[in-house]
Amino acid sequence: MNDSLFQDSLKVATEAMTKSSETGNSTNWWMWLAIAEFGIIAVLILREKLKPKDTAKQRFKNESLKQDIDFNNIINSSFHSVQLYDELKVKCHPDRFPTDKELNNIAENLFQEITKNKNNVKRLLELKEEAKQKLNINF
Amino acid sequence: MFDNAWNNILDWFRDRSERAKLVRSFNESARSAFVDGIAPTLLKASISKGESAYKHQFSNWLNTGFRIQAFTGRVLSKDELIHIGKVILDDSVLVRRLIVLGWDTLEIHGDAGQYGCRWQLKDYIPLPKFNPNE
Repeated sequence: MNDSLFQDSLKVATEAMTKSSETGNSTNWWMWLAIAEFGIIAVLILREKLKPKDTAKQRFKNESLKQDIDFNNIINSSFHSVQLYDELKVKCHPDRFPTDKELNNIAENLFQEITKNKNNVKRLLELKEEAKQKLNINF
Repeated sequence: MFDNAWNNILDWFRDRSERAKLVRSFNESARSAFVDGIAPTLLKASISKGESAYKHQFSNWLNTGFRIQAFTGRVLSKDELIHIGKVILDDSVLVRRLIVLGWDTLEIHGDAGQYGCRWQLKDYIPLPKFNPNE
């Protein structure tokens, strides 16, 4: 009698323990799911909130950072632009073409460009080539 | 407020990297020009304290000077200093880049003597007025 009672109690206790452990597992699983869900929502909200604002100042900055800078030309211009400019301003002066109106106009435009770019060797060399072709000047 | 602070921190790091990149590129070009015999003088760019009176809307808190030192071994004349400065200031792309990266002063000086020249960068590029509430 005692044995069967003991057996029944053991059976009930085992069942109860199995049930509780099953319930415990499922609770754990749902908790992790909730944490993951919370994490995803937090990331999405933060990503939207922390997106850099597209202001006019930011746009101005981004555009300025996109342009390339020719440092070699800057260094070269620091030491060689004066000689090149002096040579070009004498040879391409519009007063050297007083009779031919067309050549005089070309020289005047070139002279203006030369004055504008007097500290830019790269541009001055391009203008020198242009002067050679259009005004037939021998340098 | 938090998002603003976070973006400011990111911007600060990005600007620092861009500033270092610009100085490095300038120095590399100057060094190769000197080694190849294109430039008779070695130029070296560095970041200096700058002049606080030249501040503009992009200015950094500290170190707002872009300094170029010419290693000539002699005292440079005022004309020589001004010419190097004018070459830099005539390059609108470079001036604009210097301004948006937080520099407001351009300084040129030699390796000997006490004399140097400096310019206010915002005088050479028309800066638009931005709405601070945007």
